[in-house]
Amino acid sequence: MIYAESIPAEPFLNAIQSVGFTDVVAVPDTHQRSLIDILSKHETPRFIQAATEDEAIAIAAGLIVGGRIPLVQIQHAGLYASVNHLRGIAEDGRFPMVLLIGLLSRDAELLPHEHGGSMVRLAQPLLDTFDIPHYLMEKEDDLNFIELAYQSALEREGPVALLVGVATS
Amino acid sequence: MNNPIPSKISVDAALNALDKRREDQVVVSTMTVMKPWREQFESDRDLFCVGFMGGASTFGLGVQLARPDVPVWIFDGDGSLAMQLGSLLTIANAAPRKFLHIVFHNGIYATSGAQPVLAEGRMSFAEMAKGAGYAEAVRFDDIESFELALDDLLEVEGPVFIELLTEPTGESFKSPNNVPVVHPEGERALPSALASRWPIVNESLQK
Repeated sequence: MIYAESIPAEPFLNAIQSVGFTDVVAVPDTHQRSLIDILSKHETPRFIQAATEDEAIAIAAGLIVGGRIPLVQIQHAGLYASVNHLRGIAEDGRFPMVLLIGLLSRDAELLPHEHGGSMVRLAQPLLDTFDIPHYLMEKEDDLNFIELAYQSALEREGPVALLVGVATS
Repeated sequence: MNNPIPSKISVDAALNALDKRREDQVVVSTMTVMKPWREQFESDRDLFCVGFMGGASTFGLGVQLARPDVPVWIFDGDGSLAMQLGSLLTIANAAPRKFLHIVFHNGIYATSGAQPVLAEGRMSFAEMAKGAGYAEAVRFDDIESFELALDDLLEVEGPVFIELLTEPTGESFKSPNNVPVVHPEGERALPSALASRWPIVNESLQK
């Protein structure tokens, strides 16, 4: 069974723009390469590149202090690298922040928890450990999860994650 | 173990020099310098960073990118910056124009027992910032030179980096001897000080 299909970059960008995100703070992610490419060519949302995922979370929090609406774009490996900032800034600081996380090497014929490798398998359990709600984006129709995630982040006053199932196209 | 490099600047003297020049800047402080700044100079444009070492400078970068019209000052620690050296590249790349990043370099991890910062006596944060691409990066080891140069540095288009070789200060961290709080299952943790602090700064920036 095929669980996931690639989401094209153009409608992905449209969905991000329609929510009203003003900035995308990103660490390059192979999985979301086509989306990064199109984001970096548009003025809105502004594309801000960080060296590490910790920094991306800190920058996004500062943007919120200044009245902006940031989206953090990282990879699952970056999620693992950034957990202290995710906890200490985003969660404990109660910043309504949406994280777009690419599941690099996700096999579309397996659910994430069925993977043998830890990179894909542990992303959702890690978010559960941090009590961070998450949505799995498996097809183009799931782009409406972006708005849901933002509303959820505002409501809970904290981060909410969107997991990109397979590579964007 | 390396000996700390000689330094002459007291943290209080440096903070006084900065406070004398403060207007509407957002100040993001962390580590041992945070406590004396907070006790003497706290305003509704202060953000305090506890529990995420290395994050103060990029947190402040976000504020500056949101509000390029409002100058942002970062009061960083040496051990803290060492944890996120990549942030120098991130800040230089973003090129915030009204961004002053000061590292208080006392050469030790003050609160955990005065362990030396790595490569102490041989490395220079100012040289790292310069190499990363900051518009200006300078190092001071006496308060007179710092005060003399500060007004001009505040006029330089950023990002500007200042490394102050300061006297070690700060008490060793003491674990609070309180009755343990049992976190109720299913309930969210209490908000941090940051959670109650940042909306104050957010509101101030809207005035």
